[in-house]
Amino acid sequence: MLTLALVLMVVIPAVGGVLAGAFKGASSRGAAVTAAAATAALAAWATATVYGGAHAAAVGDMPWLGGPAATPVVGVLLDPLGSILLLVVTVIGLLTVVYSTRYLGMDNRDHRVPPTEHPRYYFWLLLFLASMVGVAISPNFLQLFFFWELTTVCSWALISYYRNEKSLAAGFKALVVTQVGGVFFLVALLILFARTGSFEFGALALLPDRLRLVVFVLLLLAAWAKAAQVPFHTWLPEAMEAPTPISAYLHAAAMVKAGVFLMARSVSSGWAMPVEVGMVMGAMAVLTLFIALTYYFVQDDLKRLLAYSTIAHLGYVLLGISLGALGSTVGFRGGVLHIICHGFAKATLFLCVGAIAYVTGSRSISALGGLAKTMPLTAAAFFVGVLAATGVPPFSCFWSKFMILSGAVQLGGAIGPVLLVLVLLESLIAFSWMVYVGQKVFFGERTPVACVNSDPPPAMSGVLVALMIGCLLAPAVGIPLVQWIGR
Amino acid sequence: MTSALLLQTCVLLLLGGALVSLACARNRALAGWVSVAFVAAACVPLARVVVNVFAGVAEGETVLLALPALPARLTVHVDALSAFFLVLTGVIALLSTLFSVRYMEHFEKDTVAKFYPVLLVFFASMVALLVVTDMLFFLVFWELMTLSSFFLVIFERERKDSQRAGLKYFVITHAATLCMIAGTLVLWRQAGSFSFAALQDSLGVLLAERAVVAHLVLFLFFVGFATKAGVLPMGDWLPDAHPAAPSGVSAALSGVLVKLGIYGLIRVFCSFLPVSAASDTWGVVLALAGTVSLFVGTLTALRQTDSKRLMAFHTIGQIGYICLGLGVGVACLRTSPTIAALALLGALFHAANHACFKACLFLGAGAVLHRTGERDMDRLGGLAASMPVTASSTTVAALSISGVPPFNGFTSKWLIVAACILGGLQHPLFLVLGLVGMFISLVTLASFLKVLGAVFMGARDESRSVKEVPLSMALPQVVLAALCVLLGVFPRLPLGVLRDAVASAVRIEVPGADALLGTGFGLGLTAGGLALAFWAPLVVVLALALGGALAYAIQRAGAAKVREVPVWTCGELDSAAAVRYPASSFYLPFKHAFAGIYPALHARVPQFPAALRRAFNVDTWLYRPVVRAVDGLARGVSRSHVGVPQVYLLWIAVGAVVVVAVMLALTR
Amino acid sequence: MRTIVVVGLAVLNAAIALLLSPLLEGLMRKLKATIHSRIGPPVTQPYLDLLKLLGKEDLRTGRGFLYAAAPALTLGSVLVLATLVPMGAAPPLSFAGDIIVVLYVAAMSAVLVMLTGFGSASPYASVGSSREMMTLLTVEPVMAVALVVGAVKAGTLSTAGILAWQVEHGPSISMVIAGVAFLLALQAQAGKLPFDIPEADQEIMGGSLIEQSGPRLALFRWAMWAKQLVLAFLLVELFVPWPRVGILPFDLMLALVKVSLVLVVVALVDVVNPRLRIDQAMGYYLRVAFSSLAALAFAVIGM
Repeated sequence: MLTLALVLMVVIPAVGGVLAGAFKGASSRGAAVTAAAATAALAAWATATVYGGAHAAAVGDMPWLGGPAATPVVGVLLDPLGSILLLVVTVIGLLTVVYSTRYLGMDNRDHRVPPTEHPRYYFWLLLFLASMVGVAISPNFLQLFFFWELTTVCSWALISYYRNEKSLAAGFKALVVTQVGGVFFLVALLILFARTGSFEFGALALLPDRLRLVVFVLLLLAAWAKAAQVPFHTWLPEAMEAPTPISAYLHAAAMVKAGVFLMARSVSSGWAMPVEVGMVMGAMAVLTLFIALTYYFVQDDLKRLLAYSTIAHLGYVLLGISLGALGSTVGFRGGVLHIICHGFAKATLFLCVGAIAYVTGSRSISALGGLAKTMPLTAAAFFVGVLAATGVPPFSCFWSKFMILSGAVQLGGAIGPVLLVLVLLESLIAFSWMVYVGQKVFFGERTPVACVNSDPPPAMSGVLVALMIGCLLAPAVGIPLVQWIGR
Repeated sequence: MTSALLLQTCVLLLLGGALVSLACARNRALAGWVSVAFVAAACVPLARVVVNVFAGVAEGETVLLALPALPARLTVHVDALSAFFLVLTGVIALLSTLFSVRYMEHFEKDTVAKFYPVLLVFFASMVALLVVTDMLFFLVFWELMTLSSFFLVIFERERKDSQRAGLKYFVITHAATLCMIAGTLVLWRQAGSFSFAALQDSLGVLLAERAVVAHLVLFLFFVGFATKAGVLPMGDWLPDAHPAAPSGVSAALSGVLVKLGIYGLIRVFCSFLPVSAASDTWGVVLALAGTVSLFVGTLTALRQTDSKRLMAFHTIGQIGYICLGLGVGVACLRTSPTIAALALLGALFHAANHACFKACLFLGAGAVLHRTGERDMDRLGGLAASMPVTASSTTVAALSISGVPPFNGFTSKWLIVAACILGGLQHPLFLVLGLVGMFISLVTLASFLKVLGAVFMGARDESRSVKEVPLSMALPQVVLAALCVLLGVFPRLPLGVLRDAVASAVRIEVPGADALLGTGFGLGLTAGGLALAFWAPLVVVLALALGGALAYAIQRAGAAKVREVPVWTCGELDSAAAVRYPASSFYLPFKHAFAGIYPALHARVPQFPAALRRAFNVDTWLYRPVVRAVDGLARGVSRSHVGVPQVYLLWIAVGAVVVVAVMLALTR
Repeated sequence: MRTIVVVGLAVLNAAIALLLSPLLEGLMRKLKATIHSRIGPPVTQPYLDLLKLLGKEDLRTGRGFLYAAAPALTLGSVLVLATLVPMGAAPPLSFAGDIIVVLYVAAMSAVLVMLTGFGSASPYASVGSSREMMTLLTVEPVMAVALVVGAVKAGTLSTAGILAWQVEHGPSISMVIAGVAFLLALQAQAGKLPFDIPEADQEIMGGSLIEQSGPRLALFRWAMWAKQLVLAFLLVELFVPWPRVGILPFDLMLALVKVSLVLVVVALVDVVNPRLRIDQAMGYYLRVAFSSLAALAFAVIGM
């Protein structure tokens, strides 16, 4: 029953995507929303059912790929780690689809999209949803790789959705960079299979030391490319050419999380990551935090600002995971919790920017001002998002950041205090800047650009409200789930 | 009902009130009165809890929620110290909400949806943080309080100065919270739990084993709490933030919010810190910090002409007194518990008194602002005739804050200064600090005489018609002014209660109330058979009444006729505004003497070196060159493919020759 | 029995302050006239002034309870101060107020005068009050340091305790310095030249009291005279209480003689000095305050 549900979670959105692509107008939207809603409901049910344990089952068999571990290659696996990602992709996916039903259209002052273009959008979006669910419930590296590459393709298609020169270039760049990551992943996979004859996550622990180091470095490179970490961070800001819901979903909440999810999987399956790799991962995460931070102050486009913030937050997740690799369970849990917490916070922020662009046609920080008067709900959502993303209690990211910091302190030695100081410093600067930007855009005198508008239509406003609640409640769902992760 | 249940009721009522007032925000008056009703209702269970605590009903900690992932537990426990601060919160919350109902008419264009709900959440967070005994949840509620007060500070969002004040407030206090998070985590590593008791033990262990780390942790907590309390130099946010908020909120900010910083300081430095050489050191640090802020804060206040900004600077000054008392108390804990208890009593009593008179002063300034639209004291004058209730309440509060006997401010300052001088017998530094305290109390007086002289007295401006504020705004002021008098004249009852609070806060045996306060009708401290210090407000009031009556009898002895006459201005007839002595002219030579005491620093957006940013831009120096190189290589290769068969044949021939040559070279 | 003694002594102190202060003021005037080579008014002139003023019309420019009650409260507060100060015996209300209370009660009359000044809505009065405040700001710390020196020596804040200690232990360096500082402060507290800046008749025509007339003016004057007497008593009793025989009338007479001497010194300084500017006065008292800190240092090391 549970296995069926898990399989259906991949099938339903895929089929829904095909239907939405085939239909036109309202029925296309209807198919998309229905499929996303069904997937989200199934995900919630499945998570609740396996809560506290894990569910693994075989679905098919590929004997020529089965190795000595003798576990089937095609199957499903739902454990607390997967549940976290599953909830993020399905719930935020549903909200994004609902939001998109109004965002795409002729009323959008930022980008008018004629109705004939809609089915293509929903097709790729739902296909992406299906492949992300696939990533979350993959029981082995091979299947994970398959869905991983699928998300790359969807991402390319959706970034280039507007088909203008800039978006085509941005899509191509994203495709190339993430594909390079995919190649690293593939090589790691081949080494793993050649050596152990298995694609199991646990097989990593069976590798000899030197080879394990190589495999982990390759996996790390793959994760960096996918999660837009330094030095592969340049594709993400340019991917902001995508429609805003896509930026919110793919490039903040879901697709980039596939990268960090891969690391979380690799680390937590057997806890076999070599310490050196863990160190490098943590150091690069901190470096990423600060490099991303330096870009904050020069951004005028709200979406690009949020993109850099996303890069920094993925750094947080990787930092937490590296703490796990170095021996701190709390830090690892914090990193995983950050996936869901940041997902909701950043989706809120992006969709707020989408709402602003929808009604004003502008995303420029310097051109906007005094929006709170006309768009109170968006203003509230934006501030909730800012506070949640920068880790102000009681909102979501506070809890995950706090757990990551706890992990850092738990490690002790010289690393703990240094990380503590660096992370808190980054938090403070990011917080100050984001609040400053929030004040600039929403408070103060109204600028001409910001003069004529009101909150976005109910479908979009409703999504914003849901996300605000999500920002508050994400830890309430996440903390009980992550407490089962550990050795 | 247990305390935990009562407190949950209280917090839920406040949060429910927030939702209801949000729902009916379209009707301004209704939303206001609903909020008042909910706050009043929430005060009932709160009062019950407080009464239980002071009646000595013992209750253990109640666990409301557990987070095994960390692990942390939301535990609730009210001791006498918490109860004391709960009283402050309840009283000020109720009065400031009541005041706000009519005051908010002032802001016609702003919706009250951004006011009452936030205000109630603010109160709820304060109640919650006072009763939890788990550091993680304490920090959560602490920051919830910060962020809700931030939205209250930037209520007038269109104003640039409000925005600046709000940002400054939020950033500085958030930085302080991050310090506290760091300190907490270091202790947590040792303790493995976030409960106050465990952190307390781990601080003791740390102090014994790694004293440097322990002092660092204490420093982090000191910065964290002192920032919120408004102790200079960290309290620099306060003079901007308090005036920016609507007056009812200013009263709550100055009355309660900054006191919670003091609450935190007491928890850390009295409860967590073991009585040892370390507590002596930190006591001196606290006392010095307090003296710096009372000195600088009050002298800077003297130079202000904006009434609310002036009061905000005085908040810094008065918090300095509290901090001074606290520091003397902590420093004396080991050597002389009696003086320590006296100083801590003084600090807590001053906290209560400051809540009364500063809230009253802010409400008074708000009332003036409400009726005249003016905060600049240079442009006000002679309001006592048209706003008698506001004028008399403000006068009482002003005399209280200046420490004029027999009002409450004097009693608490007396306790603090007496503790300073008596503590100075062992530690001479405190003598100087006590003298500075006495001097600054005069500066406070000067500053508030200026307020009274410039705003309420002086030449009346007949052209402006000003009425007294409505009852709902006058009542809170009158209540607070009455409290100022009552607490001042009958200090034994509140001090007896505060003695329990001190006893619950410190880790040593505190002398009983009789030993501390004497047994007579006033306050008297005797130690070792030697009479040390006395203050009997009732006797002095009685003597003053008798002396005054006698003097009045003399005054009326000649039955002189009373006649009202116009002011004599050397025969010139000028308008009231022209002959008025404006606030900025007061004490000019004195102000010049202390002009450089509060330097202004201007923060700028960090200019990041462009070279470094270029270095971070991997695209330009790594990826694009690589792509271009690959591209160029491919072009080069494709250039050789010209499509002419003869050329290809030539290539084949050349290739064959090369291959043969190589083969020959290798095989030979 | 004890209560009766306390009340009796309190009444005695208040009566001395009230009834003898015009006489001493008269003496000072006479002395000044002598130095000026004038005949001067009779010694009883201040009494006559008061009597005359009490019968005059009471003209008011301000309203409100505080403004109306200020003269009576001012004189009342000085009478309270008198009961907190030793006059030949321990201060009768010593149990109700220590030296901190004494300092604050001493400031009360000044507060009321200043409030009256602001309340009378005259710019001259406001300038006067403002100057009065600045004088207070600079003088009060000097008095505070001097009294705290006594507290440090005696180890108690109680006025009676300090007096008893001083009688028992005899003179000491710190108390001498403190006493001198207190004497210098008295000059300004009494509003005499060169520190009569708040009144400065030639500049601001009496300052705070410019709009006061009739009985109100009488009470304010009376309060100021009484205050200078009481503070002189505080000076001689705390810093030079010797010899002490323990018989009230004798000690009281002796104290009165010493007080007269102190006031003679004050009058002499008054008559030979021109008025300072307020900033000069502030600088002067700043130096006095810092010098008196030396007394504190001596006291701390037990000298």
